[in-house]
Amino acid sequence: MKVNTKFIKEVKKYGAFDISACFNCGNCTAVCPLSKEDSSFPRKMIRYAQVGAEDKIESSLEPWMCYYCGECSDTCPRQAYPGEFMMSLRRYLISRYDATGLSKFFYMNSWAQNILVIGIFLVSLIFFISYNGDFQELAAKIELAFPAYVTLAIFMYVFTMYKKTILDKSKKFLFSFDFSNIKETLIHGLTQKNFSGCSETDWTRWIAHLLVMSGYTLTLIISNLHLLEPLKKHYGLLDITTPLVFYAAFGIIAGGFVMMGRRFLKKIQSSKFSHPTDWLFVAMLFLIGISTLTTYILNMAMGPDAEAVAISYKINIAIEVAWIIIIVPFTKWIHIFFRPMAIYLYNLKKEKQLA
Amino acid sequence: MSTKNTDVLIVGSGIAGMQAALDIGDSGLNAVIVEKSPSIGGKMISLSKVFPTLDCASCITTPKMAASSHHPRVDIYTYTEVKEIKKVSDGFEAVIIKKPRFVIESECISCKKCEEVCPVYVKDEFEYGLGVKKAISIPFTNAIPQFPVLDESKCIRCGACARVCPKDCIDYLQKPEEINIKSKAVIISTGYEITPMDAKKEYNGTKLPNVISSLQAERLLAPHGPYGKFLRPSDGKIPDSIAYVQCAGSRDESIGIPYCSRVCCMYAIKQAMLLSGMLPLSEITIYYMDIRAFGKGYEQFYNQARAMGINFVKAKVAKITEDEEHNPILRIDRQEDGSKPQEVKHDIVVLSQGLVPSTKNFFGLELEINEYGFINQPQKTLSPAKTNIEGVFVAGVASGPKDIPDTIMEAGSAAVEVINYVKSVKVGS
Repeated sequence: MKVNTKFIKEVKKYGAFDISACFNCGNCTAVCPLSKEDSSFPRKMIRYAQVGAEDKIESSLEPWMCYYCGECSDTCPRQAYPGEFMMSLRRYLISRYDATGLSKFFYMNSWAQNILVIGIFLVSLIFFISYNGDFQELAAKIELAFPAYVTLAIFMYVFTMYKKTILDKSKKFLFSFDFSNIKETLIHGLTQKNFSGCSETDWTRWIAHLLVMSGYTLTLIISNLHLLEPLKKHYGLLDITTPLVFYAAFGIIAGGFVMMGRRFLKKIQSSKFSHPTDWLFVAMLFLIGISTLTTYILNMAMGPDAEAVAISYKINIAIEVAWIIIIVPFTKWIHIFFRPMAIYLYNLKKEKQLA
Repeated sequence: MSTKNTDVLIVGSGIAGMQAALDIGDSGLNAVIVEKSPSIGGKMISLSKVFPTLDCASCITTPKMAASSHHPRVDIYTYTEVKEIKKVSDGFEAVIIKKPRFVIESECISCKKCEEVCPVYVKDEFEYGLGVKKAISIPFTNAIPQFPVLDESKCIRCGACARVCPKDCIDYLQKPEEINIKSKAVIISTGYEITPMDAKKEYNGTKLPNVISSLQAERLLAPHGPYGKFLRPSDGKIPDSIAYVQCAGSRDESIGIPYCSRVCCMYAIKQAMLLSGMLPLSEITIYYMDIRAFGKGYEQFYNQARAMGINFVKAKVAKITEDEEHNPILRIDRQEDGSKPQEVKHDIVVLSQGLVPSTKNFFGLELEINEYGFINQPQKTLSPAKTNIEGVFVAGVASGPKDIPDTIMEAGSAAVEVINYVKSVKVGS
């Protein structure tokens, strides 16, 4: 292995840490409640980065095991911000696992992502407003196209991750069908229970995150299955979609509000350093929640034929289009899949005794 | 208010203050030492041995204490606080407050009878809270002066000491006394305190009984220490496994003390060596970030410790907790063969704390201090004793952490600077 001193500069573009101050005392790893004997971080990862062991980092699952409680950054004797380093590693890995290279471009040039999001939103909106046909039909087609696009993106990421962490080492396809592993993966994916691993559970963060996550997943189901037809049906309080939409919107808005507030106040380590892509991510989620809810409430109040409902619905779909095309496959969103995947692959490695 | 004239006022009677006073006295000038504790000797008199020679600390300090107290040109005020020092046209004017011992010093013959009959036990400050003493007692065996001090806050006013005193010199009504000191120059040798035990909250230093401070460990190792043996405080067990946590109070940005205290590596190695002599079967582990053995003979001392079988583990201790038997548990990242977060149990843990300045405001003197409270030395290389105020000199840890040999050298340097200064002022005026 060759020492590569440029590597650290590359990772540094993804976040505000200072691991050149690190003298490898190991306080971060020892204080970390999630670090384990066979999955130890952040010090090991910092050491890899310091010597430029790119391959080691790309094949590591450790970055996804970190939930950024920030204890390492709080207690670091050198103020090297190891927690922020782990966060930057996750951003770096997303860029590396992205075959299109767009994630990296967006991380480096966040303005480009902002402009593209706004541009696509505006173009779609203008198109939708000027569209003369049955917009409900068009929306159905757009919403049904989403899953295909997203699945493709996810498949690309998941395969790269699998390749880098397992395939490159084992040289053959390995899978774990162990029930306990699958169960653990699902539980972690659905509850994010590692948030409770920190020595003082940050309940606000966990609940806000759960609200956003569940609300968003519900929105995804509602739109991808095209459950809503606000321009055709008149929804009432007793409709099955009502509690779904209200919960989803409430989850995203309340959770998103808390998250934005914390990033704004910067009191907690994990919300001290926000990458512009983080802001775009929460802001867009927030807008999805609000526009979905507004459309639905307007429909309930005014019926499917009202002009306001149509406009609100068009805005809603335009936001979703920008979100799906530009944000979902690139930058932060994919961590939803990487975190549970990492747990699955970690157990797989243990099962197959891959060092 | 009585007034005393002298050439040099020295604040603090640790090894720096005493050394400077002796050098000044020997040169023919007069010096006054003001010491806030009841005895002179500073921190050094409480140490067990000194590194890297393993000389007995009190065997070096006691003669210095005796020499200063008997020196014809050195006057000492113990148990006395400096209220303020003002620069005036012909030197300095200080106001000092002599705290009441509740004992008439001119009459006391140090017979210790009061101490024998006193029914009240209090924590012994000299033993850093490990042992007990009487509410009226001589501070420690080789204290100078040998006058008892009555702890007013703990005394129950039973009168036993007053009845037994053969010289009738217990005076419950003694009041603080203000004294004016006029001097031509001042030496600040106020020294240090160790970082508080609760500075790093992850170490639970004030909560866990078997996590002790390095100065407490010095007392446990001293031949005349509180228990006469190295026992752990919670249950008096002789420890089988002892851990030293390095950089427990310095080189740590998270507690706001990023500087290196320069002595902790060496005193921990010294204590470990003494321990392995005292308890040959015990396991001694020193957890360090890196060992800084920089002085003359220090590296050899460190290598000797390794050869003696003391374990050196590179790891910063992140957290200290304990089990139900009060055995401290350390969490570290074991770095041999990769990286493994681990919990290690020991019988007793010594925190190698750093050095912080013992006083924040230097008696109203407008001294330049650095961001950590140590006095700045504007001419550090050529005249390390000089401060930003003409006529005010500094010696020892007051200007930054340093070991005993460096402190003594600085004190000598301060003495020479002060002598030159006072003589030049004489000629000039």
